[in-house]
Amino acid sequence: MNTTLILQQFLNGLAIGSVYAIFALGYTLVFSILRVINFAHGAIFTLGAYFTYMLLGARFGFNGVFANLALPFSLPFPLALLVGALLSGLVGVVVERLAFRPLRTRGADPLLTLVSSLGVAVALVNLIQYLVGAEIYTYPPRVLGSLPAAVNFGTSTLPVPVRTVQIIIFAVSMVIVVLLTYLINGTKIGKALQAVSEDATTASLLGIDTDRLILFTFFLSGFLGGVAGTLVGLSVSINGPYFGISYGLKGLAVIVLGGLGDIPGAVLAGFLIGLVESFVPAQYVAYKDAVAFALLFAMLLFRPQGLLGRAVVQKV
Amino acid sequence: MSVYESPMVPATETTTPLLQIRDLSVNYGGIQALQEISLVINAGEVVTLIGANGAGKSTTLRTISRLLHPRHGEIIYDNRDITKLRPDEVVRLGIAQSAEGRRMLTRLSVMDNLLLGAYTRTNRAEIQADIEQQFGRFPRLKERSKQLAGTLSGGEQQMLAIARALMSRPRLLLLDEPSLGLAPLIVREIFAIIRELHASGVTILLVEQNAQLALQNADRGYVMEAGRITINGLAADLINDDRVRKAYLGDVPPPVKLPPRAAPEEKNGLFGLR
Ligand SMILES: Nc1ncnc2c1ncn2[C@@H]1O[C@H](COP(=O)(O)OP(=O)(O)OP(=O)(O)O)[C@@H](O)[C@H]1O
Ligand SMILES: [Mg+2]
Repeated sequence: MNTTLILQQFLNGLAIGSVYAIFALGYTLVFSILRVINFAHGAIFTLGAYFTYMLLGARFGFNGVFANLALPFSLPFPLALLVGALLSGLVGVVVERLAFRPLRTRGADPLLTLVSSLGVAVALVNLIQYLVGAEIYTYPPRVLGSLPAAVNFGTSTLPVPVRTVQIIIFAVSMVIVVLLTYLINGTKIGKALQAVSEDATTASLLGIDTDRLILFTFFLSGFLGGVAGTLVGLSVSINGPYFGISYGLKGLAVIVLGGLGDIPGAVLAGFLIGLVESFVPAQYVAYKDAVAFALLFAMLLFRPQGLLGRAVVQKV
Repeated sequence: MSVYESPMVPATETTTPLLQIRDLSVNYGGIQALQEISLVINAGEVVTLIGANGAGKSTTLRTISRLLHPRHGEIIYDNRDITKLRPDEVVRLGIAQSAEGRRMLTRLSVMDNLLLGAYTRTNRAEIQADIEQQFGRFPRLKERSKQLAGTLSGGEQQMLAIARALMSRPRLLLLDEPSLGLAPLIVREIFAIIRELHASGVTILLVEQNAQLALQNADRGYVMEAGRITINGLAADLINDDRVRKAYLGDVPPPVKLPPRAAPEEKNGLFGLR
């Protein structure tokens, strides 16, 4: 590998890693509040990609209820991304109301809640297939308007071209990480989330409506999932209704690697997995998805407390 | 029938009860923790609830704060049935609790704990003024405002727990064992604050294991045994009651009569000391 290629792979790794990070933060938020993994998160990721596809005014394919349908309007990409993410957030809210709250009010075992979220995931994936079929959808080629396809990060003699899409992915993800960090650490509602995360009983004794905050958490989580789905859809394509499953598993690897419930840890782990994956030699590229789990395995052996080693003291 | 089992002696003729609990029963699964307890708290009073470990004192406070659902009975606060409200709604109505074991939000700063105590309020200037007021009341918290609450000493945590509960500007303050595990000097400081709050007009329901100190600082008291209220009356009478002294005061000679405290009528507003 020459320097140019290394640099290029590094930048690609950062881009995909940043998506892993924001996607995994969706798991982390719910986990730090409820101590349970929301298995529907991967399905919301998939849904988000389809929402944006639809909002861009693109036409659905030949199968499913929506065959050959398209919206009568088309939103510019930034707006489609935002609205798609908001819709994904609403799906998150519905998931909480249907699959989490009924069990929580009955004081059910977290394991049951986990199974319940798995059930929602399966239902959502099937719904997607019923509506739009199992085809591969690619975002319209002109989605980024007049932007160039690639940007040169090197010199004219030693070019290091990076796809504009990768730059957009990285920028959007980083903006989200910064905003989320500010929300959690710098606002009243963020402090309230931290309070619920540490001790929900005490939080409610302080006048915090814990159920509403949980709902808000699911909205945020769904929003993050929707953005991540859209960004991956933009970068590659929407690989059918099962598209989110491998990302869902990888996201789990990210949060365990980062230390469950640890936000900076999840970001770091997202980058780590993205970078290592991007340096998998071409002949082994079929095994790329195994990288995350190899790292995870090593981590569980040597640093079970997570990358930053403070999973126990630092939640949300 | 002793005089203590007769109906309540109201603090003054005119006050209507701020809180009234009627025939409240609470279960934990199959275990009955409260059995048809009734009690009354008038505005401006300090009422203490004493009793042995496991008598049901914390259960009573948790039920008032709506963390537990009663199986039977009702809780009337300010002429309103609060038995079916959510915990946060009860706080909004003016009932704050400093729970047993202090319950710090350990990973947040002292300042953030106080700010969360004011979660139900929106006027920033008033919140800031109340924080200053708490810092005046608890100077040690001011010095440590940026410190994580989990790193405070036990006494400091208790002070923060009380200050945080006061940040919602409660009309009724529920205190669960504020003296638990604290050195005598700190306990004295905490009780001085309780007297000061009383003088400023805050109504307090004080749960204590230290019956002596609680009765010395309260207007009236209830004694709880195995989920029932067995004795109630004026604190000054309970402190001389044989049964109370045998069971909870280690049967020491009754203390010298204390000088009368400021009457509740003297209050001017919720935080009259401001
Ligand atoms: N979560 C619970 N599950 C089952 N039983 C409980 C629970 N909490 C309390 N109890 C039981 O209810 C009874 C009353 O408990 P409670 O905590 O109200 O007592 P207490 O008077 O506050 O005691 P202490 O002075 O030790 O704090 C006890 O017998 C206790 O074991
Ligand atoms: Mg107790």
